[in-house]
Amino acid sequence: MNKLLIAAVSGLLASMAAPAVSAQAAQPVELKGDVKVVKVVVENGQEKRVLIDPKVVVPGDKLIFSTAYRNTGVEAVKDFVVTNPIPAGVALAPQGADKLEVSVDGGKTWGRLAALKVNNAAGPRAAEAGDVTHVRWVLPMLAPGASGTLTYNALVR
Amino acid sequence: MRASWGTATVAALGAMLAPGLAHAAGVSAGTLIQNTATATYTSGTTSGSVTSNTVTVRVDELLDVAVAGLTTTPALAGASNVVLEYSLTNTGNGPEAFNLVVNTAVAGNQFDAVLQSVVVDTNGNNTYDPGVDQVLTSGQPTPSIAADGSLRVFVIVSLPGTAIDGQTSQVQLSATAVTGSGTPGTVFAGQGQGGGDAVVGASTATQSANDALIAALATVALTKAAAVADPFGGTQPVPGAVVTYTLTATVSGTGQADNLHVTDVIPAGTTYEIGTLTLDSAALTDGNDTDAGEASAAGIDVDLGNVAGGTTKVVTFKVKID
Repeated sequence: MNKLLIAAVSGLLASMAAPAVSAQAAQPVELKGDVKVVKVVVENGQEKRVLIDPKVVVPGDKLIFSTAYRNTGVEAVKDFVVTNPIPAGVALAPQGADKLEVSVDGGKTWGRLAALKVNNAAGPRAAEAGDVTHVRWVLPMLAPGASGTLTYNALVR
Repeated sequence: MRASWGTATVAALGAMLAPGLAHAAGVSAGTLIQNTATATYTSGTTSGSVTSNTVTVRVDELLDVAVAGLTTTPALAGASNVVLEYSLTNTGNGPEAFNLVVNTAVAGNQFDAVLQSVVVDTNGNNTYDPGVDQVLTSGQPTPSIAADGSLRVFVIVSLPGTAIDGQTSQVQLSATAVTGSGTPGTVFAGQGQGGGDAVVGASTATQSANDALIAALATVALTKAAAVADPFGGTQPVPGAVVTYTLTATVSGTGQADNLHVTDVIPAGTTYEIGTLTLDSAALTDGNDTDAGEASAAGIDVDLGNVAGGTTKVVTFKVKID
């Protein structure tokens, strides 16, 4: 009798776990990452900036990482926070960094770059774009069907 | 070994690009940069999180090089070979070998040095060690240099026979990435470290630098004078008279006379006066021993060794007329 009960319970657990996985797949929000490299091309003697797929990337190149989001559900989504760790090998580009909410301590504290400090051997100093470990975007609400793209610029170290 | 392009043009190009070479090589070629974003949210009463796909960028190989002449004061070139030192730095972000070209015919040269060999500092001690450091044969590239690594290069040259004391010359060493060079941004598909492409950087992946040398040569002038003292207090060359010979060696120039000997034969009809050999007024023994001179019935030989320019050496000896 006891063995049967255990079998029934474990069967119940298994059947509960399965819907949880499918709920994960049917999330109301989708995120799609992309990256482009900014190249300067000369056309008719004029320098022009173009965004191209990063087939050839070397240190010093400027990359634009983007994350497209969309509320695919039928209900509004609230407290939507997209967090993006800065990958090893790139630094947040100084250009445009002041418009982002960033962290220089691995995501523990957040703020505008100008308000953040980092500690080094000589004491605290003003944080620079190269110190940034994470960027994030906070959107209070996404209506059903709402979409957008979040971007940050990075330089290959 | 002479490059076909104008040297002045290359030197100017190097000066223009120098500031671009200051930054370090950066992320290693082949590194994968991977970006993933995560979102948290609340929907109704439940909260959830979602992760984006991961985008990956592979860092390609940047081809860059810097060359510097390390012989800051012109090397003095005399009779023996001169070692000119250069440093070669891989300012790219992947391991790379470089082809070296020596140009001895730099514009403005008063003489063109004779190239003997190009040697790399195999044991990394910053000193030219003949027989230890690797001699590059013509067309042979350097060993691979790690990103941000430096290699010291020794260019061994000698003076041409036509060089005159005090003339100056420059020797140019050019280094070019083996993978390729050219306009910055030129791509060598699939030839980068780690499976990516190789891309020419701001240095054009070819750079050069000059070292200077100056001919330091010496000329030797030898004069001989004789003074006769006869037995009667006069100066007549009669039998029994003693002749004092004075040999004056004058070395001039900025270099030195190597292994300089003053030799003379005892004239026929005279006999060497034992123990009369002197160098700069100091007596020398006649035997072949530790002092500089030796003398016999046949002649004298004084070994002055290496004598610097601007030095005068005086040798005297006496003979008696038979």
